[in-house]
Amino acid sequence: MMPYYKFNYFGLDTSLVIAVIIGIGFGFALERGGFGNARILAAQFYFYNMRVLKVMFTAIVTAMLGLFYFTWIGWLDLSLVYTIDTYIIPQIVGGLILGIGFVIGGYCPGTSIVSAATGRYDGMMYFAGMFFGIFVFGEMFPWLENFYNSTPMGRVTLPDFLGLSYGLVVFLVVAMALGAFAAAEWGEKVRFKITGRIKE
Amino acid sequence: MKNYLLNLSTPKKLAALAGFLAIFALVIGNSGSKNKISVNAKELALSAIKDQDKISAMTLADWIIKDKLDFTLVDLRSEKEFTEYTIPGSVNVRMEDLLNSDLKRNQKLLLFGNDDISSAQAWFILKSSGYDGVYILNGGLNSWKNEILYPKRNVNLTLEDSIKFEKIKQVSIHFGGNPQVRISESTSDAAITTSHKIAPPLPKITIPAGTNKKKKEGC
Repeated sequence: MMPYYKFNYFGLDTSLVIAVIIGIGFGFALERGGFGNARILAAQFYFYNMRVLKVMFTAIVTAMLGLFYFTWIGWLDLSLVYTIDTYIIPQIVGGLILGIGFVIGGYCPGTSIVSAATGRYDGMMYFAGMFFGIFVFGEMFPWLENFYNSTPMGRVTLPDFLGLSYGLVVFLVVAMALGAFAAAEWGEKVRFKITGRIKE
Repeated sequence: MKNYLLNLSTPKKLAALAGFLAIFALVIGNSGSKNKISVNAKELALSAIKDQDKISAMTLADWIIKDKLDFTLVDLRSEKEFTEYTIPGSVNVRMEDLLNSDLKRNQKLLLFGNDDISSAQAWFILKSSGYDGVYILNGGLNSWKNEILYPKRNVNLTLEDSIKFEKIKQVSIHFGGNPQVRISESTSDAAITTSHKIAPPLPKITIPAGTNKKKKEGC
């Protein structure tokens, strides 16, 4: 039964090897999705190109349906899957900082590594900047620690928080994704009519 | 209709599949988070402070002999320990399998491990999962060994105590035990520990007739 690590199918060492393999696969999928290109990523924020929205929502819907049905079949125990605890205010602040960096630099941490791996200089610079930021954060941590650990809410999931069944949340997210896909397609058609350009 | 579906582009086919799975998910509702439970902490605390759910080794032995046992004895130790020795009529259920085992919520369960710790942990898991009749063998298998299998008596006892010990001796022999008499009255701590070390081998499991019969289902 999954998650395999929690059920002791393999130890920590093996899990690290598996993590590397999955990580390479993830990076490959991101690159093939066009996420190694800062122009495509940044265009999402100006609604020039809706590829990020489509790829991200596709990934979310695929993973979510997989987890839901694996649990239903009995292959997976969803309650044992690790989720990061919620610290609502520090995480909102952190999300804003990441978002600003994303708009300015054109990458998020994962895609900057993908970009650097494909040999782009902007990706490498972004990658170096990210590690400089991590270093500064580490040095400042004693001053930030109280804020970092403030407003702890523990493990929060949408079904628990909203009091809805998992099935209903799955349905709502898929409906939202399909709506967003349709809207993105429609928006691109309108844009093509006005500007005569398809992308960028 | 069929042609219409076949002529859809791949993304649209996938979107239709996702939509179908989402509607089916709505029907399923919760896909089974059986291991996650909500607990009434107050109720658990209240039933823990009452000592009614602890049963002594002597009481248990008495019930087994008189065939009055309406508990399912649950041995929480490892399979290896279980095959070496267990209380007659027990079933072996490991802690992590408790909620997936054949144990039923309306069964009366008597839990034991080597000591009280594992049975107390299992008690909590079962109680909080809606098992009502969960009991603990006080002192676990250790006190079963000390009180039933290898009871010790001192040499000079009062008459009353002697009669009592005779009874215990009968019980002990019934379970294949080995009652021991302490030779010297001056039992130092060292003497006790050595007598523990040379504890006689555990009796072979002989399941007394009647205790292992299947509980009748239904009426």
